[in-house]
Amino acid sequence: MTCILFVSAILFNEFSMLLIIFLSQIPIIITGRIIKEWLKTLKGGLLLATMIFVTNLFSLYFFRGQQLTSDMLEYSLALTFRFLIMITSFSIFFLTTSPDKLSLALEKARVPYEFNFAFITSIRFVPVIAEEAQSIMDAQKSRGLELEKGRFLSRIRNYIPILLPLIVNSIRRSLELAEAMESRAFGASKKRTNLYELEMNMLDYLVLGFTFLILIIIIYVRFFIEPFLPMFPSVRIL
Amino acid sequence: MGIIEVRDLWYRYPGISEPALKGLNLEIEKGEFVLLTGPSGCGKTTFCRCLNGLIPHFYNGDLRGEVIINGLSIRENTINKLATHVGLIFQNPDNQIFALTVEKDVAFGLENLGIEKNEMLKHIDWALDRTGLKEMRQRATYELSGGQKQRLAIASILAMKPKIIVLDEPTSFLDPIGAEKIFKVLQALNKEDRITIILIEHRIDLAARYVNRVILFNDGKIIDDGPPEKVFSAEESRLAGVGIPKIIQLGKRLRRMGVNLENLPLDTLMFTEKLKEKLVNKRISLLAEPNTKVNRMIEDSGNSPIIKVCDISYSYPNGVEAIKNVSLNISKGEFVAIMGENGAGKTTLVKHFNGLLRPQIGKIFIDGIDSATMSVAALARKVGLVFQNPDDQLFSENVEEEIKFALKNFGFNKEIIEKRVNWALNLLGIERYRKSSPFILSGGERKRVALASVLAWDPDVLVLDEPTIGQDYAQKERLRHFLLQLRSQGKTTVIVTHDVEFVVDSKPRILLMSQGRIIADGPAELVMTDFEMLEKASVSPPEILKVFRSISELGFPRNVFDVDEAAEIISRSLKGGSS
Repeated sequence: MTCILFVSAILFNEFSMLLIIFLSQIPIIITGRIIKEWLKTLKGGLLLATMIFVTNLFSLYFFRGQQLTSDMLEYSLALTFRFLIMITSFSIFFLTTSPDKLSLALEKARVPYEFNFAFITSIRFVPVIAEEAQSIMDAQKSRGLELEKGRFLSRIRNYIPILLPLIVNSIRRSLELAEAMESRAFGASKKRTNLYELEMNMLDYLVLGFTFLILIIIIYVRFFIEPFLPMFPSVRIL
Repeated sequence: MGIIEVRDLWYRYPGISEPALKGLNLEIEKGEFVLLTGPSGCGKTTFCRCLNGLIPHFYNGDLRGEVIINGLSIRENTINKLATHVGLIFQNPDNQIFALTVEKDVAFGLENLGIEKNEMLKHIDWALDRTGLKEMRQRATYELSGGQKQRLAIASILAMKPKIIVLDEPTSFLDPIGAEKIFKVLQALNKEDRITIILIEHRIDLAARYVNRVILFNDGKIIDDGPPEKVFSAEESRLAGVGIPKIIQLGKRLRRMGVNLENLPLDTLMFTEKLKEKLVNKRISLLAEPNTKVNRMIEDSGNSPIIKVCDISYSYPNGVEAIKNVSLNISKGEFVAIMGENGAGKTTLVKHFNGLLRPQIGKIFIDGIDSATMSVAALARKVGLVFQNPDDQLFSENVEEEIKFALKNFGFNKEIIEKRVNWALNLLGIERYRKSSPFILSGGERKRVALASVLAWDPDVLVLDEPTIGQDYAQKERLRHFLLQLRSQGKTTVIVTHDVEFVVDSKPRILLMSQGRIIADGPAELVMTDFEMLEKASVSPPEILKVFRSISELGFPRNVFDVDEAAEIISRSLKGGSS
């Protein structure tokens, strides 16, 4: 589903179409119950989105005769929304899919187990590393390290006492993990089994079919209908 | 033929000339519960890596001799093959957990072995049941406590149904209660499922009562082997510098004084019962001046305290109320120990002393000044915090630079920095590592570098968070003497610790914390004898004290901490005839 959204974002150039696509994601977000997290993602993407908007507007302005037309605004908005749709579709995907299921899907897709394992293990250690980073910051602040002060360059240098122990600890950790993996017979069998199984039920097939249908409609609209309309109803701002 | 046979085992790590293991010969029978101990660097960790094939297959190096595990030679069999016969559990709970949920982690080994799903579920059910983790089946692994994580590690190994389980210092990161739980699980596995257990531990006082055999290592060789009472009473253990349980020390002392108490059991309870039988009807002889051995430094309570905590409360962002209405004063020169169960708020409290955390209610005054008006750096200048894990702070090219770090941050000038670095290096006995990289030093040496780097700026107050974790007995003794030295120089010292025996030997002022509050505050003699309070704080009383509390009903004094004092009192009574 999210892939379709992603693809459709790329297919369309018109702002109004993109706006429709963007809004259509909202019911998905609500049913997925990830509203708060999605808003956080948007907040994170705000800087980049603004940059996209501003740079496009400015370049259009300067290269098309120094006039601000509604077309330019529309175009810039369109691109911005394309970006927002893309990050939203990504975030919907990752927020609603448990890593275990994802890893299972990868396994079914014949991805080599080493990659799968690396993927899950990295996720598993994110909270561990986050806590470690906090401990390191505490320890270094207790030795007089000031992370908030200073000019830009020295501030970056101040993060070395944080990053280095983090990296060294990660390297040490990987040695310990390797020992533990060996001790748990990692790689013993070429045919690795799995505790969980991925099963497709009726609902899954329905959603799959529905998504496919939408994809066909979108492609049809884009390539066979839209180019023949002089100007798809667009929002007149100015 | 034992389930483990070791014949003339020699091993050298690659690139190191000195062998780590020098001619070991050993046989372990099925169903034994063995304690492997010895000072740091004696080779016990190396030895247990030989038991599941990590040596020689993972570490390479030079292996001579043979180790046969359940009939399989470690040389001729891969680690994978050996994994179904022997399981190895490591020190750090986090670094042996791979999955996101408990259930999936227990399945990890089974999946690797290609075991079919229904069979897997049976193994998993059994393993979770034996380790008491049934209700945690669907929990996320990062939510587990340290003790639960270690039990998960045991479950994950157990699921592969090994006949032998080897554990390398599994309780290092756990508090005594967590440690006890692990030992109880191991005991059940040993007694009920007949699994051979090999346990490497420094915390002999906690572990000794569960095992039926002790193998003592030193310098790559086995120097003693036998039942715990015998090994710990023998000279070898004293010379090797391991932490002999206090009960055994008492028994030895009494024996030397001519009192014969045949075959004293290791379990404090049984020891005390036997002792009571002998002491009934004996005249109680008190020492001429009881408690003169109280070495308390005169606290200058007249002046204003160096740390004054006024009714503070703090909750973490996730809502956990860590500290509630805590007030205390610490005077200059005091030696304070903060004790309590995991999660009681001890570390949270000391993080307020240097401003890492700020109280949401209440105020803290450091040396008379409101901490709210000072930055962390300014407060750190006065209150030096040394954290549990030195690896959280080491990052410099060499030890010298590491020590200079804080001094530079605090703006000391070059000459003073030079002097301080020299002083700190000498104080901690690490002058010869001046130009070494901190990363290649051993665990104990890294701890000393961390301590040196804090002492270098001579803070008014020194705070140590769990300084005894993972240390062997000799290292702890060195630390204890060092702290005494600091005390005699008038330095205010605060330690946060679980280690009751460590505390009781130094007799500080004790603060007991439980659930965010201070429930007891007083000199060690008073707090340690209040068993009800200790229980509330989940602190186990020191061994000697437990004995005397029990025999106090016969009229003996309650507050005896010291092995020597205890031996004196008991031997006099036993020799003095009946009343």
